[in-house]
Amino acid sequence: MIKIRNLTHRYKNRNEEAISNINLHIKKGESVVLIGSSGSGKSTLFKCINRLIEPDSGKIYIDGKEILNCPIKKTGKIRSNIGMIFQQFNLLERETVLTNVLNGRLCHTSTIKTVFGRFLKEDYEIVRNNIRRVGMAGYEHERIADLSGGQKQRVAIARALSQNPKIILADEPVSSLDPKLMKEVMDLLKNICVEEGITLVSSLHFLDFAKRYSTRMIGIRDGKIMFDGKPGELNEKNIVDIYGKTKDWYMYGKLGF
Amino acid sequence: MKSKKINPLKKYKHFLIGMLIVVIYYWAISGTNTSPTNFVQGLPFMADFVSRMFPPDLTNLGRFMSKAIETLQMAIVGSSIGALIAFPLSFLGARNVMPNKIIYHGVRTIFDALRGINEIVWGLIFVSMVGLGPFPGVLALAAHVTGALGRYFSEAIETVNPEVIKAIVSTGANKIQIVVRGIFPEVKPLFVNYSLYYLENNFRAATVLGLVGAGGIGMELITSMRLFKSREVLTILIIMILMVTIIDRFSAYIRKKIVNVEIIA
Repeated sequence: MIKIRNLTHRYKNRNEEAISNINLHIKKGESVVLIGSSGSGKSTLFKCINRLIEPDSGKIYIDGKEILNCPIKKTGKIRSNIGMIFQQFNLLERETVLTNVLNGRLCHTSTIKTVFGRFLKEDYEIVRNNIRRVGMAGYEHERIADLSGGQKQRVAIARALSQNPKIILADEPVSSLDPKLMKEVMDLLKNICVEEGITLVSSLHFLDFAKRYSTRMIGIRDGKIMFDGKPGELNEKNIVDIYGKTKDWYMYGKLGF
Repeated sequence: MKSKKINPLKKYKHFLIGMLIVVIYYWAISGTNTSPTNFVQGLPFMADFVSRMFPPDLTNLGRFMSKAIETLQMAIVGSSIGALIAFPLSFLGARNVMPNKIIYHGVRTIFDALRGINEIVWGLIFVSMVGLGPFPGVLALAAHVTGALGRYFSEAIETVNPEVIKAIVSTGANKIQIVVRGIFPEVKPLFVNYSLYYLENNFRAATVLGLVGAGGIGMELITSMRLFKSREVLTILIIMILMVTIIDRFSAYIRKKIVNVEIIA
């Protein structure tokens, strides 16, 4: 599904490479969780896959097709196949739930229709269905600013789903939520992805969460992959490799050893 | 221990700055003949002028009112034309939307030129181009407002949170869709605010445009003043104050309706 070859990127005015020589092959239907400290390159990797960043070198294939260095017109098509979920939700705060989720249909809507704010009946059906699915039915005309954090992330999930994506990238989707909401939102995301056969790649900070919601875990440190395997295979040495030595392991969550 | 030599200039820094301020004020005041004695000497004349203004002369009230309404119409049309031109251009003058530097700088230069020339000066220019009346006034207001709103709109667009826009980008939307569905909703309240502010501003500007023959109540004001009809001048001034107040209240009301203000504490 996603194949990454020798991907390297360095931000302007920085000496270190944000990601260096990443090689990955993510298969359809997998639930991959990236772990690693802040600044380890997880977000950069997400942005490269979604073409928000043009990496310095390397190749990314989605469904066997190379996605880098392609014309702008195709970029939209590539992005539409990938739903993205952000830590800070990134919704239009003053607009309604319906408007925000409708934005997920933009890739299937003509420019002229967008300018006049027209969407097809079918689009409205998809959008309302997705709002119901994330448990936000009845909130269609509420403003985002009036919602709680968990509700906002549900709306963001509905927006991503409305793209009809093959892949969902969730960049720290629950990092600004309380533990109960973290579980609720992750359950929702995981279940929908399993039902729809969507490949889910997320990054999580709590290791017990990461284990629970992944079929495969990838540990990143300083832009390099330090661990790649099944959640059960992660041992103490791997964790030291990923995060460095610390006495405060309890803060990372239950490790299971 | 290193002994630091104190720079004498540094030691007397505050004294020197103080001296400089005194010198600047002396220079400016002496150049403009501003003095308390002049003011006191002028007081009886001021009192005389003001007393001659009472009571306000209402014989021509109807004409003044219709001219005041014409001023308001000028402000509405001028502001609207300016806002309508500035709106699309402002996206071309925002660095985050327009990566092409030549277009960006070109649009910004146009805004600066339009804004740099005062409404009155635009009035003079358009009166000599299309003749007397409210139409050159409208053009003058539109020209200045295009420059002013264009700049404010562009700057509002540049301050949009890029993370929120990235979310729209990531859905696969094209550039126009991103602007329409992502950037525009974020800047809408600011656009409304600035446009209403310029409606108020333009009403005030329109009252003076009459002085150069570009329509509106200013024309009546200058006529009455030249004919020493002080009582009519007062009537006109009262009308102006009332209308500015009404417009201020009206736009405050609209803003409250459109922009959801969250009260702090």
